[in-house]
Amino acid sequence: MLSVLSYGRLVARAVLGGLSQTDGRDYSLITASYGFGKDFRKGILKKGMCYGDDACFIARHRTADVLGVADGVGGWRDYGVDPSQFSATLMRTCERLVKEGRFTPSHPVGILTSGYYELLQNKVPLLGSSTACIVVLDRRSHRLHTCNLGDSGFLVVRGGEVVHRSDEQQHYFNTPFQLSIAPPGTEGVVLSDSPEAADNSSFDVQLGDIILTATDGLFDNMPDYMILQELKKLKTSNYDSVLQTAQSIAKQAHDLAYDPNYMSPFAQFACDNGLNVRGGKPDDITVLLSIVAEYTD
Amino acid sequence: MLTLLSMFYYICLRRRSRSGTRGEALNSRRAVESGQRAVLPVSVEVEQYAKEVLDFSSHYGSENSMSYTMWNLAGVPNVYPSSGDFTQTAVFRTYGKWWEQCASAPLPFRRTPEGFYSQDYIELGFEEPVYPTAVEVFETYYPGAIVQILACSHNPFSQNPATDVRWEVLWSGEPTKVLTPHARQFSPKIKHINFPTNLLRLEVNSSLLDYYTELDAVILRGVKERTMLALYKIPHIDISDLSDSEEELGDAGGPFMQGDGKPQRTGNGYFDKLPYELIQLILSHLTLPDLCRLAQTCKLLHQHCCDPLQYTQLSLQPYWSRLNDASLGHLQSRCALLQRLNMSWTGNRGAFTLTGFSSFLKACGQSLVCLELSCCHFLNEARLEVISQACPDLQELNLSSCDRLHPQAFTHISKLTHLRRLVLYRTKIEQTAILSILTFCVELRHLNLGSCVRIDDYDVVASMLATRCRSLRSVDLWRCRNLTDRGLNELVSGCRMLEELDLGWCPTLQSSTGCFQQLARSLPRLRKLFLTANRTVCDSDIEELTAWCPSLQHLDILGGSQALCQVDAEAHLDPSSPLAPIGSPMLMDVVVKGNAVEIGCTQTSTYTTLYAREVRVGAPVEADNRSEAWGDGAPG
Repeated sequence: MLSVLSYGRLVARAVLGGLSQTDGRDYSLITASYGFGKDFRKGILKKGMCYGDDACFIARHRTADVLGVADGVGGWRDYGVDPSQFSATLMRTCERLVKEGRFTPSHPVGILTSGYYELLQNKVPLLGSSTACIVVLDRRSHRLHTCNLGDSGFLVVRGGEVVHRSDEQQHYFNTPFQLSIAPPGTEGVVLSDSPEAADNSSFDVQLGDIILTATDGLFDNMPDYMILQELKKLKTSNYDSVLQTAQSIAKQAHDLAYDPNYMSPFAQFACDNGLNVRGGKPDDITVLLSIVAEYTD
Repeated sequence: MLTLLSMFYYICLRRRSRSGTRGEALNSRRAVESGQRAVLPVSVEVEQYAKEVLDFSSHYGSENSMSYTMWNLAGVPNVYPSSGDFTQTAVFRTYGKWWEQCASAPLPFRRTPEGFYSQDYIELGFEEPVYPTAVEVFETYYPGAIVQILACSHNPFSQNPATDVRWEVLWSGEPTKVLTPHARQFSPKIKHINFPTNLLRLEVNSSLLDYYTELDAVILRGVKERTMLALYKIPHIDISDLSDSEEELGDAGGPFMQGDGKPQRTGNGYFDKLPYELIQLILSHLTLPDLCRLAQTCKLLHQHCCDPLQYTQLSLQPYWSRLNDASLGHLQSRCALLQRLNMSWTGNRGAFTLTGFSSFLKACGQSLVCLELSCCHFLNEARLEVISQACPDLQELNLSSCDRLHPQAFTHISKLTHLRRLVLYRTKIEQTAILSILTFCVELRHLNLGSCVRIDDYDVVASMLATRCRSLRSVDLWRCRNLTDRGLNELVSGCRMLEELDLGWCPTLQSSTGCFQQLARSLPRLRKLFLTANRTVCDSDIEELTAWCPSLQHLDILGGSQALCQVDAEAHLDPSSPLAPIGSPMLMDVVVKGNAVEIGCTQTSTYTTLYAREVRVGAPVEADNRSEAWGDGAPG
């Protein structure tokens, strides 16, 4: 008799609990970006959001907030191709796709595929390659959908701990998966991965979650605990404090990159693979820091 | 007290109903009386960018893309005030005069009115209907193509079906060629109309331009309410519609049906002295509305104007906005000998019913040889079936941009076994239908399958063309996604009479397979070849083309390999024109005219246009000095 009642109470509580979970509020991302180009190339400011060969974008649409980073592969410079063109055009194209609504929030790899296809529609042959990472927050369903091709990536931090992270995709050391457009006739020689090869993941997010999307310039120079330390300083979800935190993370990574004695994650990985090196890895650094907050117009 | 007030209101109401202009003053007075605050209607000018692109006749980009497609015209400008060739603009498929001059173009129709220049159009929907006061178009490259702006009374976003759709011309002009290709904001003085509109149509003619015109955005400025009626000239009744004159004609038909045997009084003065054929010849220069009006003047001229010999060619395209079932009904009786009919752009938004169009075709289709139905969205499977049954001798059929036609509808075309020219640009035709058409229509001379995205395997189509349609003169495979060298080789070996071949934006053709060289060797009559955006085209291909195709007049190798462009840029640019650094990849648009070659190059970063002076490509007869122009001068 008593057990029936208690079961009944448990069931009722669970049901009610489940019902109240569907919160009518929309979430959104407050995002700030910061970064450093490797060689401080001044005067080549391509419509902002480009740091050296890296590029990024932040876009909003009716139903979703979308972020993206792309790391142009520097090796093209040896062949007379400017690597920043490909990544910048890719990111700008993806931004346009999002703004015009030509995407599905739950399918971010579609943004990459359409963006890549649009790059091929240029009359001017656009050469180069880059990695790409796209993060989409579906405002209504509170789910974060991501796709990552290459060695850029993202971290999701909740309560001071990393709860989700992306995996690096590499063919071999320092050769990440990459979208590329090669000169004709070199298709067999140049690495070109399909957007379909990207890693996808989807998960729920909560208010206050911090999402850090960055290129390998950050992750190769700053281990997780340092990043988490910086993120602890982010208390409020207004744009200025997010920007400040993003700046401090990027600056710290930049300083560490040029420290010859510091055992960076990159150096550690190299040592594990038999290369005896120390020091940071000078590279373009791009940091997009977002915090999940309630949606306001 | 109450009766006094009510009397006062009654008097005010009556006064207000008599004159609108005093109404506002009374309104405010009444408002003061009644103690409420009334708001005077203010004529605020509303500025809107286009919300959606609803319809258009062609575009450069591929379907489902945002590059160079018409959908870019909606929304705020992406590029303006920069000038140049950008993917974020709206670009039409053609420019210049070549398209009208090539063999696959239809012959011009007689009686085309002089003021009708339109070749392409685009329809834009805006959020709110307003009385337009200004229309501004942001043109970002080679402006000057817009020839007409029209406004429609129907709200395209409303759920109600279209009734009483009226189109009014806001502005019309001639195609112009502006001196510099730079961006400009085009804002012609528009006519004031007496209905609010949120649907605009721009009509375009790019034949005078040296390159594609590119449009970025359109602004519609207008007022929501017209407060002072007196300030706006209410236009007189529109110039008599085709329908109007024909209705009157229908009524006037009565008195002419005299009983048989009664000799009619012929008091036509000198007209009676002129031979019948001479009057017919004079009348053949009149445009269609004038012909209909002339028919109302007297019995003799009515007889002349209704003579079916005047209606062997009928172009209804310039009057697309004013046609409906009634017009077709009235024309039916005169069109028994109709051979060429142009109904492109007509009948949309419910102007034609199934019965109207069908009965017209059944009456006039017997001797019909050419039927142009470009952008006719009223077409469906039933109507195509009617066409295939009513017009058994049809030789030319144009269904360009009929993108709402169901794929099933195209199977009826295979019944038209005498077809010589078939245009299916931007339609949804599928593999089985096209193969069945090619099986039965063996006399095809001109086939356009540009942007037919639903065809799965173009190699099979090419192979079928080679087997069945050996007298093919031109084929347009623009943007066919999966044609490979295998299909191309079969096509060129089977269709030796090919004069025009469009393989633009076909990404799967590789020069390394030797398919372009094979093409050059197999098609001695080749006059036009488009290899647009094929990155693999190289020097040896061009050399073969100039060696084997002496009639080659038009070659598009835009985006060809870097090596090719480098060599040509080095050798042939006029030293006085601003030179680009040779190392950068360049776009090339090459036109061969007689012995001269015009190379249009667009440098990547600054988009300046450089033109080469006369460059010898080799006289059409001798093939020996071909290498003078191409390559580094080494012979053979």
